[in-house]
Amino acid sequence: MSGARRIAQRGALHLSLAVIVLWSVLPLLWTFQTSIKFTRDVAARVPVLWGYETTAAAYRAYWFDDPATSMWRVLAVLLASVVLITVPALVARRSSRPWIWHALVVVAIVGSLVYVARRFDTSDQFEFLVNSLIVTVATICVSISIGLFGGYGLARYSGKSGAVILLAALAFRALPRFAFVLPFFIIAKYLGLLDSRAVIVLALVAVNQPFTIWMLRTFFLEVPKELEEAAMMDGATRLQAFLRVVIPTMRPGIIATSLFTMLLAYNEFLFVRVLAPTNWTLPVGIVSLAGGESSKGITEAAAAAVSITLPIVIVIIIFQKHLVKGLGAGAVKG
Amino acid sequence: MERRSFTLFVLPSVSVMTALMVVPLGTTIWLSLTDLLLRDLDSAPFIGLGNYAEVLRDPDFWRATRFTLAFVAVTVPVEMALGIVFALLLDRVGRGRSFYLAALLLPFIVTPVVGTLLFRNLFSRGGLISWLVEVFTGEPFVIDGSNVRFLIMLHAVWHVTPFAFVSVFAGLQTLPQERVEAAAIDGGKFGDIFWHVTLPHLRSILFFVAIISIMDSYRVFDSVFVFAGNRFDDSHTLSVYNSVVALDAKIGRLGKGHAIAVLTVVGIFAALVPFLVRSYKEQIAERA
Repeated sequence: MSGARRIAQRGALHLSLAVIVLWSVLPLLWTFQTSIKFTRDVAARVPVLWGYETTAAAYRAYWFDDPATSMWRVLAVLLASVVLITVPALVARRSSRPWIWHALVVVAIVGSLVYVARRFDTSDQFEFLVNSLIVTVATICVSISIGLFGGYGLARYSGKSGAVILLAALAFRALPRFAFVLPFFIIAKYLGLLDSRAVIVLALVAVNQPFTIWMLRTFFLEVPKELEEAAMMDGATRLQAFLRVVIPTMRPGIIATSLFTMLLAYNEFLFVRVLAPTNWTLPVGIVSLAGGESSKGITEAAAAAVSITLPIVIVIIIFQKHLVKGLGAGAVKG
Repeated sequence: MERRSFTLFVLPSVSVMTALMVVPLGTTIWLSLTDLLLRDLDSAPFIGLGNYAEVLRDPDFWRATRFTLAFVAVTVPVEMALGIVFALLLDRVGRGRSFYLAALLLPFIVTPVVGTLLFRNLFSRGGLISWLVEVFTGEPFVIDGSNVRFLIMLHAVWHVTPFAFVSVFAGLQTLPQERVEAAAIDGGKFGDIFWHVTLPHLRSILFFVAIISIMDSYRVFDSVFVFAGNRFDDSHTLSVYNSVVALDAKIGRLGKGHAIAVLTVVGIFAALVPFLVRSYKEQIAERA
């Protein structure tokens, strides 16, 4: 193949990929620049694409009740917490006792949230953010710890009942939310659990369980049986071998499954809307905010959209390889 | 593994799924036979199949069913075709893969209700695309009853294509290069290689993507609720129709809502039977 033709082909390849990238990111970019504009520019008939004055007013209105909140101070606090969170996270990678540093990461995250809540006059949305974080983390912890046992059992047992359970799980995966959500609502109302985070976590763990056991099972299938058999020859019980020998090799599988669980819990709208009349998470908060059509409402909803998207984008970028591997594992074996 | 340890290992998962899925599903079926109302949860008068008769005569139900089926029939094939194209393109890239991968994954990560608002911002008055349409046609694009279905589908394609794309892309990484090269040496054109080597290799992945996408598209709620919620009644899918009937603050009819839920479940199972049978056979074959 001649050199010129080769260059032309590569150019065409990257050009088509650039178009696909534009298609993927344009909606978020457009909303981002809406979120930093003044309302007069948003209301302009011909969109102002560059050279406009920027403002953080929409973010202030979304996150804080006090209109005099200094966004520079907010930014300083934000940067400080990013440093406090990333430094121990980076140290943990090289440390021989990473769990100490991971605990510091958790302390830094919780500490920053408490500090912001105390020092600033935060809006309802800040409470929804805290709800979102608690619901997401709790759903991941409960789902994965139950799912690890189930996934392991299903990967190692060769009887027929294993196939029946897997198939039933696949069938449950197909059910629409309304097959469960109304009974959940009625039962929660009777038990006085309506509007609690616990009931949302329970509902999310339930709908997520079929997917969790399928995905973790595919990762367990990759772990050689000899590993636990050797441990059991040395006198360990099945449970000990599972906890001490098999689980430590499952890091990639646990991370990948956690990422998908995170997306499910953080993005959930219907369950929260039905089961929590007031104690919302961020997606329900933004929908109620975006009802209006005024220019002021549009910039604030845009700021909300960017604020909600940023945390998961950061997490996914950090763990991107695991997400891709997870989809690959599910797809190849599933 | 012995049967006893297997039982203990799967017990937590199976009990969670039984208590929180099978029991609510049973409750749904039972309550679908009553005339339970949202404002009075204490009395659930038994009315037999009355709700079903009413739902099946409700033109809104049939309209929602038609739109749901059209939604699945249009979006799933488009998402899969685009996913394959994106994956084939990215597979040819050497440097810059992880950048493209991150950018292309973005729509999959964005919260569905947020993604819907992003699209609304682009297409409503003052939005970039609304203005571009005005430049070319003289009239700005305005979201109304005639195009909201198109926007709902467009958002779905944007949101779900990355899932098909990454799955296919992962599958391409395991395609044996010798087979592609052998086919190329035999004089195979790109199209021939794709049909006779690549596509057969991707078969089980495409099956998996299809089954997951059909499930998720069939129950689509968030984006339709935000786009069409209380403004465009004739663009409701089954899930949104279900929520309107069951959860309306004034006349929320939970009994009828449960009947709609049961009919929706019957619908998806009817469609999935061949897939489930195939999956079961594969599982049994794996064990033999």
